[in-house]
Amino acid sequence: MVHIVHITHRGASVRLGARLSSPRLATIGHGRALGFGCHLTSGQRTLSFRRIGRAEENKTKRGRVLTDDRSRKYRNDPPGTEELFKKEANLTDISADETQQTDSEVNSVLSAYKSEGDPALYEKAYSELKKFVEGSLDIYKHELGTILYPVLVHMYLELVYNNHSEEAKQLLEKFGGNLEEYYQNDLKRLSNVTKREQMAGNELTDTFKSNQFIIRMSRDTLSILKRHLQEKKQSVLLNIIQEHLYFDMYEGVARNKQQIDATSGAMVGEATRQDNKAKVYYGLLKEPDIQCMPPTEEEEDDTGGADGDKPKKKKAKKDPLFSKKTKSDPNAPPVGRMPLPNLKDADKLEKGKALREASKRVVLGPDTLPSICFYTLLNAVHSVTAAEVAEDSSLLAIGFADSCIKVWSLVPQKLRLMKTGEQLQDIDREADDVLVRMMDDRTAETSRSLFGHNGPIYNLSFSPDRNLLLSCSEDSTVRLWSLHTWTCVVCYKGHLFPVWCVKFSPHGYYFATSSHDRTARLWATDSHQPLRIFAGHYSDVDVVQFHPNSNYVASGSSDMTVRLWDCVTGSQVRLMTGHKAPIYSLAFSAEGRFLASAGADHRVLVWDLAHGHLVAALSNHSGTIHCLSFSRDGNILVSGSLDYTIKLWDFTKLAEEMSLEDVNVSHNPDVKTNAEAYLLRTFATKNTPVFTLHFSRRNLLLGVGMFEST
Amino acid sequence: MEYDDQDTFKMNESESIYGTTLSQESIKVIAESIGVGNFPDEAAKDLAEDVSYRLKEIIQDAAKFMRHGKRQRMTTHDIDYALKIKNIEPTYGFFAKDHIPFRFASGGGRELHFVEEKEIDLNEVISMSGGQTWPKLPLEITLRAHWLCIDGVQPTIPENPPPVSKDVQKLESVDPTSKLSNKSQNIGVGKPGGGGKSQKLRNVETVHVKQLATHELSVEQQLYYKEITEACVGSDEARRAEALQSLSADPGLHEMLARMCTFIAEGVRVNVVQNHLALLIYLMRMVKALLDNPSLYLEKYLHELIPSIATCIVSRQLCMRPEVDNHWALRDFASRLMAQICKNFNTSTNNVQTRVTRMFSQALTKNSQTPLASLYGAIEGLCELGSEVIKALVIPKIKSISERIESCIEGPGLSSVDKNGAGHIKTLLVKSVAPVLKTIRSPPDYVEDYKQDYGYIGPALCAAVVKARTQPTTLATTASTTTALTTSQQGAACTGKTIVQAVTSSSPGQQTGRTIMLGTSRAAGGTTAAGGQKFVILQSRSQTPTATNINTNAIQQQPQQQQQQQSQQQVKIAQTNVAQQKTHMQSNAPKLVVVCMSSGTHSTTTVTQGNITTKAQNVFVAQQNVECSLNPEEEHSFQ
Repeated sequence: MVHIVHITHRGASVRLGARLSSPRLATIGHGRALGFGCHLTSGQRTLSFRRIGRAEENKTKRGRVLTDDRSRKYRNDPPGTEELFKKEANLTDISADETQQTDSEVNSVLSAYKSEGDPALYEKAYSELKKFVEGSLDIYKHELGTILYPVLVHMYLELVYNNHSEEAKQLLEKFGGNLEEYYQNDLKRLSNVTKREQMAGNELTDTFKSNQFIIRMSRDTLSILKRHLQEKKQSVLLNIIQEHLYFDMYEGVARNKQQIDATSGAMVGEATRQDNKAKVYYGLLKEPDIQCMPPTEEEEDDTGGADGDKPKKKKAKKDPLFSKKTKSDPNAPPVGRMPLPNLKDADKLEKGKALREASKRVVLGPDTLPSICFYTLLNAVHSVTAAEVAEDSSLLAIGFADSCIKVWSLVPQKLRLMKTGEQLQDIDREADDVLVRMMDDRTAETSRSLFGHNGPIYNLSFSPDRNLLLSCSEDSTVRLWSLHTWTCVVCYKGHLFPVWCVKFSPHGYYFATSSHDRTARLWATDSHQPLRIFAGHYSDVDVVQFHPNSNYVASGSSDMTVRLWDCVTGSQVRLMTGHKAPIYSLAFSAEGRFLASAGADHRVLVWDLAHGHLVAALSNHSGTIHCLSFSRDGNILVSGSLDYTIKLWDFTKLAEEMSLEDVNVSHNPDVKTNAEAYLLRTFATKNTPVFTLHFSRRNLLLGVGMFEST
Repeated sequence: MEYDDQDTFKMNESESIYGTTLSQESIKVIAESIGVGNFPDEAAKDLAEDVSYRLKEIIQDAAKFMRHGKRQRMTTHDIDYALKIKNIEPTYGFFAKDHIPFRFASGGGRELHFVEEKEIDLNEVISMSGGQTWPKLPLEITLRAHWLCIDGVQPTIPENPPPVSKDVQKLESVDPTSKLSNKSQNIGVGKPGGGGKSQKLRNVETVHVKQLATHELSVEQQLYYKEITEACVGSDEARRAEALQSLSADPGLHEMLARMCTFIAEGVRVNVVQNHLALLIYLMRMVKALLDNPSLYLEKYLHELIPSIATCIVSRQLCMRPEVDNHWALRDFASRLMAQICKNFNTSTNNVQTRVTRMFSQALTKNSQTPLASLYGAIEGLCELGSEVIKALVIPKIKSISERIESCIEGPGLSSVDKNGAGHIKTLLVKSVAPVLKTIRSPPDYVEDYKQDYGYIGPALCAAVVKARTQPTTLATTASTTTALTTSQQGAACTGKTIVQAVTSSSPGQQTGRTIMLGTSRAAGGTTAAGGQKFVILQSRSQTPTATNINTNAIQQQPQQQQQQQSQQQVKIAQTNVAQQKTHMQSNAPKLVVVCMSSGTHSTTTVTQGNITTKAQNVFVAQQNVECSLNPEEEHSFQ
């Protein structure tokens, strides 16, 4: 019935396979193996956790990129799956043998492993573990409790794997409900798998099978756990803990419930210390020289004309703006770390214009809230899937489910087509207004459509100079459109599955994409192949965002983690856990130090990039948050959601109250969760979910949404 | 196959973490449908489990597409894309724009959910040369910009949601403490900084200032108020229509609602004394507009509105020339408003409907003292509340009312005003009681029985019932609808049962413990003092002067004219009636701005003015200025 017609996939797999073996990817996972080895030697010798050998495998399995091998697996190819499972089974067997040889102490334990077939043991083992956790001292209780979820999951999978479906179901029914609320979704997905055959090709079980669940524990807690395990000699439990859990031990006091809840919830556990050790240059780049400044002033004199004394005033005002920028930031990346495109004359003019606009900017705060201009799309019944406003707020692009893109001009200047080649030859190229003359006035329109995609448009991004537009779609391609000729210029085919997000770098030229194939990729507009593939997420990468200094890309995923990638080395430099649901929106603060993320768990989380710590969790929304934006002065954070509201958060206050000085690397600082204290205002729209929010250069907030008639 | 995809949505709702799986029977049926007979049980079982697993996986993937489409509702396309990423061919040609309405059918112990698809004959579509049968073009997607907020303050324009949603208003009126406990509720309203400061203050002093409404109106709001009130009672019908439209549709009126209600209450108070029928009609239309406004919840202001409306229903005299003017229409209209209020705002705590019903029925019990016009109003008010109320409260009284009517119509030497009134009551009773009688009396309708049971109007009732039985549907509707207000009446009829119980439990005259709210006791006291004009005294303040005034005014009876205009009794739509009134009023006095608080009986003026000054409301001051600028002579001529 469900036999499936197979279509060989779009054919890009060969190229991809080659790229995947790129050395950059192999660096992931090293740190963890080493780190664990180190601390284990200092730990008890009786229990060898055999990490180092495992870690080798991890390296290949972790962050498996979703290529078309998934579709092969889905075919239910018996020999292939069999092999895969044998491999898994053998692994456990070998490990058992090896431990037997190396350690006589565990011998008795492992002989019992043979009787693992008895499904009744699992329930007993789990309830004993649960009893132990509940009966332990309050200070260790919560940290010990973190192993319950992964143990339950792996027990379930082992039972299912050994064809004890009924027992597996009973186990999950009985204990699943007692676990934390935020694990229920994954448990629900897990409950779907009730047969050995279904375990292959299932995203969740694959991830659990091939990765260790990371648990952070204090030294004391870990030793209590070890003692318990030794006493009990529960082979089932011991095996699971050895095989599938990874303990990231730290010195210090065991964490309490709030601290644990703040950072748990991701698909494969928390981040290890090693994950966030690398230095991140989160500072802003030095603004390119201010040479363009005098000309713009003159220009203003020319254009402004009548008011003679104005420029002086301006200058006084602008000065602080400049002095601030000329000071070099100690945390900024070295010049030339990431090769950036040179500024063209037009870009310099644009920069000057932007600065002039910025000088007229309203400084926002709790007492001076922004005005919001809201653009509502009417007559679009659930057909709008993406919206984007250009940096200077002059253009609005809307992507539709029917694969059409429509661009509106939000300023009086209309959208024009470029003249034909012959007509262009007649133009005086030396003329000042050559750019204006190139365009054909007769074609001026307020909105234009772009056709070419073959599926819903999931995201759009304007280039900083507004000449180009990027779009990504369900048809797994990314397209680059020229806003002069209003045609498609390049079609980037690299992703194998729907592309969820595309973002232009703030300096142009580069762009990042993310896709259902579990990768984020870095591209340059002039290359049809990606420059970097950021692999490491365990599920769809739902959103990407460039750091304002273009050196880093942040990605948010359905595996409930946020990661920061270094564009230069291609390595993962931050791993941040704490979201309890897929992440759909990311925004860097104006000064580049903080990252805000939000998504389906209705919360806005704020991260400190210096150490990868979670610093605030703001919950007040009641729907999926699809857009976040910082005001241009960085004082206010806004979030827009499907619950028809826009919320304004006082980011200045939040930044002031953060205790950034005494950061302990192993301990997450206290997370600010009193959202009411930071919530400045809520603005409800009329049945209009908010798709995008954008601060204009003068700090006017623009919102875009689609009116839902019902 | 397509239906299976959809069915699983339902299955996923199950309580258990495991949900349901497809049954073997379904698999067998599907197998049969594609020509595989004799499907073995084992195979069906395995297949059912596998299919369920795969369907669930597909739906999980489809949810990803739904979320990236920034929607909360899954479409068939999402399923298609989910199939596509699993390398399964999507189901072609199965699209639904918004949602798929499932039809349900059952029979022979089997249940079936299915999607109804109409067959379209392409030939028909092609052969039709234009006209209505052509499918309509979808509207073009357009972009509309508006201010969601200006410097942190959300303007109340139709593009924005109402600042305080109706639910919140309702909650406030039911439970005023909710506002204090929930500080962030109104966080979108007000000026920036202000909210923060007051919050800080609160934290410091830990004093909770009870602030139920913002009392300042902005200049724009004051202007709006002035314009609206002027237009509503002015002589320009087009402007009035606009103003009423604005009142019934604009969001964000709740801040000035208190003023509007006071305006109406004062207006009624003054004009009932001066017998300005047209103005009373205009004011009632304002009430109607406010009631119709979807963003307003009037519960907090009922203490002002209900007495005003009640006055317009039962007042002894509402117009200058009772024999000519059609004040009956105003009573009808106000009764419907009252019914609408009872339907919308009756709760177990305020007992609006119980108290209104009691008020009317008390008038009926003292039927011999009540003026005919008031009697008419009371009957009409009860009749609008639905058939249950008629059954319990009107029908038992018919006989005594009959006697009174008989004496008025047949009796010698009575004024034509009385005759006219009695005629109206008769028509009203026949019209609204007949459909109810039809249901409670069994068919053989003998005139004698009716005459015995209902006295003088028995024969007329009998004829109407017989007529109703012969053509049941049409008459039933005409009886129940005097205007387009059918819905509210039905609603009232629905709630009628409980009300009747409540009323009968607290029989008229007895004072129950429920006198805390609006001052029923005061009303009762007023009854004895003023004799029959008790309804006006429900007004919470300054009752004595008003009441006496009304009394003095009401007593002066005009010399009658011949009863005329039989047709006018039957005027059903208030608007047309109002139009008549308008012409009438225009000829009389062009400037009607002088509504509420200008000269007239002196005591009234002082009272109202006293009210204004004590309340110290800007708006009223503005209003006064307008009046002062008017020529006193005109005012006089208006008298």
